[in-house]
Amino acid sequence: MGNPLSLWHFYFRNKRKVLPVIGILALAILGVVVTDSLLASARETAYATYGSYQKLILIAPRATRDQDLANPLQDSLAQLHEVQLQVDVLDGPGGLSSYYAAVTAIPARIQAQLPAMARLQTDAANARYYAARLRGDLVPLGDLIVRVQRLQSEEKAFEQLVQQLAQNPNDPRPLLTYLQQHQTLLRTVLPDSAQLGRLQAAVTSASSDAAGLQQSLQAMSRDTANLNSAGSNVADLPIPPSPSATIDQFKVALDHLTASLGSIQSPQPGLEKLVADSARIPGTAFVKRDAYSNLDINMLAGQAQFDLYGFDQPGMAQLLALYGDRVAVGRLPRADANEIAISEEIARSRQVWIGGKLGNNVDELDRLPDAFTVVGIIRGPTRIGLIPLDYMTEHYLFERRYQGLVVVPQTGHEQAVHDQLQALIGDSAFRLFDWSYIKAKIDSLIANLDVINRFLILLVTIVLALVVGLLNNLFFRQRMNEFGLLAAVGYSRWGLILRVVWESLGVTLASWLIGVGLGVAVLSWFNISFIVPHGLLMNVFDWNVLLLHTLPIPLMVFLFGMGTVGWQLLRLDPISIIERRD
Amino acid sequence: MLSGYDLALDYRTGGSVAHAVDNVNLAVDQGSFVGLIGPSGSGKSSLMYLLSGLKRPTRGSVTFEGRDYHGIPAGGLMRLRRQRFGFVFQQHFLINYLSALENVMVGAVRRNHEVAAYGQELLRRVGLGNKLEKRPYQLSIGERQRVAVARALVHNPAVVFADEPTASLDQATGREVINLLADYRARGEGSLVVVTHDPAMLTGADRVLQMRDGKLSAA
Repeated sequence: MGNPLSLWHFYFRNKRKVLPVIGILALAILGVVVTDSLLASARETAYATYGSYQKLILIAPRATRDQDLANPLQDSLAQLHEVQLQVDVLDGPGGLSSYYAAVTAIPARIQAQLPAMARLQTDAANARYYAARLRGDLVPLGDLIVRVQRLQSEEKAFEQLVQQLAQNPNDPRPLLTYLQQHQTLLRTVLPDSAQLGRLQAAVTSASSDAAGLQQSLQAMSRDTANLNSAGSNVADLPIPPSPSATIDQFKVALDHLTASLGSIQSPQPGLEKLVADSARIPGTAFVKRDAYSNLDINMLAGQAQFDLYGFDQPGMAQLLALYGDRVAVGRLPRADANEIAISEEIARSRQVWIGGKLGNNVDELDRLPDAFTVVGIIRGPTRIGLIPLDYMTEHYLFERRYQGLVVVPQTGHEQAVHDQLQALIGDSAFRLFDWSYIKAKIDSLIANLDVINRFLILLVTIVLALVVGLLNNLFFRQRMNEFGLLAAVGYSRWGLILRVVWESLGVTLASWLIGVGLGVAVLSWFNISFIVPHGLLMNVFDWNVLLLHTLPIPLMVFLFGMGTVGWQLLRLDPISIIERRD
Repeated sequence: MLSGYDLALDYRTGGSVAHAVDNVNLAVDQGSFVGLIGPSGSGKSSLMYLLSGLKRPTRGSVTFEGRDYHGIPAGGLMRLRRQRFGFVFQQHFLINYLSALENVMVGAVRRNHEVAAYGQELLRRVGLGNKLEKRPYQLSIGERQRVAVARALVHNPAVVFADEPTASLDQATGREVINLLADYRARGEGSLVVVTHDPAMLTGADRVLQMRDGKLSAA
């Protein structure tokens, strides 16, 4: 016969009262373990996604692609308007067509008498030919005008959206409406590289056609002057328009257009010098030009852009060596090929493998144009994505403008190199990204979730402490006779308090262990079924989460429950219980 | 063996003082059966609390086996009650989640097979030999009180205090309970102090004392 007042008897005989309390506490602890681990997972995945910044500094153009396109496009639009006006003047009343009509209307008798007239007719025909070509050249330019006008209307709609959101920040409906209505339109607004190429060809063609037209018109002028001086019998021959001034203005407008279009595809001014100056900074291991791009990936707490490095072939090998990564499957991208090598986790995240496709054609949120073929899977401690520099700059004219550079400091020289780079950049069109910047960004994003999570844990702890404390008190009141009797027959007061402490401690400890155990089980399942297949990171056995973050719940519940019950036990008067007649 | 000298217990309620026990002298000899009778509020339960060490007297002293309670700290009095005294109250105060035998063992000072066997023997003696594993809610009121008697006797106390042990029982069942206690005394295992308002329950007592307004007199 064991001790009838043992904890075993208490728990086993009161299981219908004890188990629900253990269940409630264990579920709450399970909730804390899961939410806390997911939050930690989001942070760890974000750190890993941008982990390549830990050993390098990226210097990129300050302006975004969209911002930087706006000015050249606006310039091009103004120049196109100018070109169209000049074409209208040339072809309008008193212009080329009316002169051609006048020339062809000269009686055939007179034309036969004057050989120069035949040349004039040939030159007039040439002028009409060039004018027709010129109108054809302007068609794609007109398309650009339409696109820019769309861009402008988008800007207006966006401004309206900003105003609506500023007035009522908690109402997401205007944003959703805007995104739904303008998503497709937005995709059509910005010109792609092929269109830009066609535009440039049209400008070149327009320029040479304009030169041909100019020559033809000048020949017509000479022919007319010769005819006028040769015979007074052709007095009714009209004076042709003087084309030179018009054509000169037209060519100036075309030159402006060519220059503004060209600025879209040139590297940012100062890039070459920055590369050279950076390489001379003491403590720099190596410097590489970088036509960087991004892939859209899921990060559990939302989407993120995974940075791809657009390097030359030696640069790719250097970057892998820097992090101790290696190509586990396939190979590195070839020069001038639309190929990509990515870390295994990123491949899993995007559900691709060797031969798979990535890029804007596959996922519209990718900053990688068109479609790139996955040729290599990288394994190692750091997540990396590599694309060929030359392919990016030769095939995507915009990418020339958004080239940056990567500077890798030697170990121990990180801060010095960072400071010198910062001084070198100054107020130029470039800005600097390093690990401390990236980490601060990640932390600031997670910090809000962290505050919410901590608040929830606090709330759950307080509510549970109150609920379980009250249940404890109710249970204690039901057992008042038991404690009264034990005190009367000689059980010590502190012995009784210690007994209740053990009872309560056992319940909270069991809840804690069960909650944490369930948490580990749920997280392990989630890790295998979702986290790993999606290239995310989760530490199932994060002792900081499992032990420290869950401890406040059983601790508070225990302290609150014991505080109230212990106080009543200390004040317990056994005689008043014995004399109770209920 | 157990004596009270000039015992007094006062209760202060507001500005007045109530004398629950007033200048009482009493001696309980070893192996004797002392009955205390009196109407409700006469102070008989208060006197029992003083004798058993559940309360300290306002004046006077109690000695047990020659030791004055004044010289015994609170912890010592607890041990005394636990080891040398047995208690039966008007209510059974059985622990609901324990069996009849386990409830008996709550009163045991040492818990081993011999004591457990003695507990079973006691339950058999009180007629519950076939209900050792029954829970209190599975027993009748009289059976519960018999379990409470067994619990009071399991550690062979020197004195058994019974405070209105039959008050919530019918006459026949009350008589059975008193007989159980008297039997314990008769076997020479301890003294018996029974507080009751029913003189019929004290027919086997060596001495019956009357309490009235806190004062003691021979009945």
